[in-house]
Amino acid sequence: MGEGTRPSSPWEGCVTGIEVVSSSYHQTPPFPLSKYEKTYIQAALRELSPIRADGRSLFDYRSTALETGVASLANGSARVNIGKTAGEESGSGAEVIAAVKLEVEDVLEGEGVDGGRIVFTVSCSPAAYPHLSSTALDDLSYDTTIILNQCLSHPSLHPKNLTISPRRKSWSLNLDIMVLSDSGNVYDALFLAARSALWDAKVPKTRSVQYQPKSNILGDQDVEMSADGSGSIFNTREVAKAADFELADWWDEGEPLRVNREWPVCVTLNLVPAKSLLMYFADVTPHEEASMPLRLLLLFSFSPSGTRLRSMRLMGDGEVQLESMTLLLEGGENHAKKLFEALGKKLEEEDLRRNQKAQVKFDLR
Amino acid sequence: MSTNFDRRRINGPEESSSPVFVDDDEDETKWRPGKPRQSRQPQDIRPIFLQLGLISQANGSAYIETERTKIACAVYYRYGPRQSKSTGYSERGRLSVQVKFAPFSCHKRRAPIRDAEDRSIAVLIHQSLVPSIRLELFPKSTIDVFLTIIENDGIDSCVATGTVAASTALADAGIEMLGLVMSCAATLMGEEIWLDPNHEEATAGASTLVLACMPALNVVTNVWQNGTMSTKEGRECMTACQERCATMHSIVAQSLVSNFTPE
Repeated sequence: MGEGTRPSSPWEGCVTGIEVVSSSYHQTPPFPLSKYEKTYIQAALRELSPIRADGRSLFDYRSTALETGVASLANGSARVNIGKTAGEESGSGAEVIAAVKLEVEDVLEGEGVDGGRIVFTVSCSPAAYPHLSSTALDDLSYDTTIILNQCLSHPSLHPKNLTISPRRKSWSLNLDIMVLSDSGNVYDALFLAARSALWDAKVPKTRSVQYQPKSNILGDQDVEMSADGSGSIFNTREVAKAADFELADWWDEGEPLRVNREWPVCVTLNLVPAKSLLMYFADVTPHEEASMPLRLLLLFSFSPSGTRLRSMRLMGDGEVQLESMTLLLEGGENHAKKLFEALGKKLEEEDLRRNQKAQVKFDLR
Repeated sequence: MSTNFDRRRINGPEESSSPVFVDDDEDETKWRPGKPRQSRQPQDIRPIFLQLGLISQANGSAYIETERTKIACAVYYRYGPRQSKSTGYSERGRLSVQVKFAPFSCHKRRAPIRDAEDRSIAVLIHQSLVPSIRLELFPKSTIDVFLTIIENDGIDSCVATGTVAASTALADAGIEMLGLVMSCAATLMGEEIWLDPNHEEATAGASTLVLACMPALNVVTNVWQNGTMSTKEGRECMTACQERCATMHSIVAQSLVSNFTPE
């Protein structure tokens, strides 16, 4: 295949424009897959120069489209589509929408946690999985939610600015992701959308206030309280009422969450069942996914302080040698780095498009 | 709100909860993050007590106890692996793992309804066990593995110990397997790797990793890691876990053999 014509980084296509990959291969969930088709796909990959059905090389990602700010009612949102091809015979690709909604929670009485908390929910739309019954679909949504929660809810990934008043009120960040269509590699799309939505999310600025009831010394007044809502110095006897907060009046929607650099990207490495040789590839189509269910999810974060492995999970029926795990980790790290950089560039471009360029367009009117 | 309020009597408070004591700071014997490990070396696992055949109605059962994690596992396939009517035809058998936390297993009482945490542990244990069982010998059938967690000392510990219990119970039930699955958890505490962490150690550590492998065939069946660590530390954790699994395997295999001495 024309290796020379392909861009050097598999992700360059998503930054500069959509590159058309062979679009005659329709991306429909092919359940059930016959044994012959499975061995056909596997045998093609085990060749000296591996062949995939749509002509990509082992680590060629399909062209990916990403857009932030798709849900205007949410505090932050993003839409990711892996494998959407332009043209008449377009397949729809794996499409995922993520949105962030912030809710106020009471630490003392409600379920709030001091410092805020993040809750992930994934719901798989029946349109994406028409062959599954509703209970099976619920189970799938549940399992995907669990995987996302287990990978991303470690305290080290926690954003630091989710507190409103310490020990009283905090933000609860609900990240809801909907899978609209699944054509393979849905986990990469989920984590991409999660990162993009969190990048886009803005936490409204708040100010703690307390209403001071009429006392002998002073009249009614709003007193701006210290952050922890402890009693005023004028009133040593009466217990201060519960402190409250108000939204400060700023021109923007708030400040961004403070974990952008630490948030990881996910690379799914699919393993080909081979006796001695380790073979793996990335970005599967539904047929490939059905014939080779064993995969390794790796989440890496790249920040100035270094590369960190945030989460790792082996999924599917099959086994791996320990020595292969080392190779997989290294390979995964390389691909994740490219993914991370391309995603970063794209997100900055999105910010530019929505803020500065929009401003320019408005000024021109 | 006041429907149960009886005006003729002096009513007690509507809600009551047990008093919360502020942690005693002078308790030097209690372990705190930053102190070296209490009562064992970083690479030592807690002593394991494993007993087979405790549940007589089940085809196979195992009870495992490591310090403060206690799990009972039962395997059912009465009259042969049971027929799965509801699901479609499948050439290979199915393994169904169900985990339940006893209400008294954690510090805070758990309601006896199934919730997210039960299923997440079940999914991990399923992932560890499936490659080891010869499911192609039981088409159209399901093997049920039921785990009851009697006392819980950290989720990673539960997953690792539960896997060992389930694999031994399957062996006790006589299900054909390719090898015993052993599992070990590790946590990264600063620069050191501590194996088999309990709940406090796992929460204090920067990262935890659970590895399930078949020492007999030298393959890994499940890896689960979260927290933050570098790739090199990840490799070291996995190697340490695998070595420990190999020693566990010889002990467990020995106890299985001694259990089935010919009469």
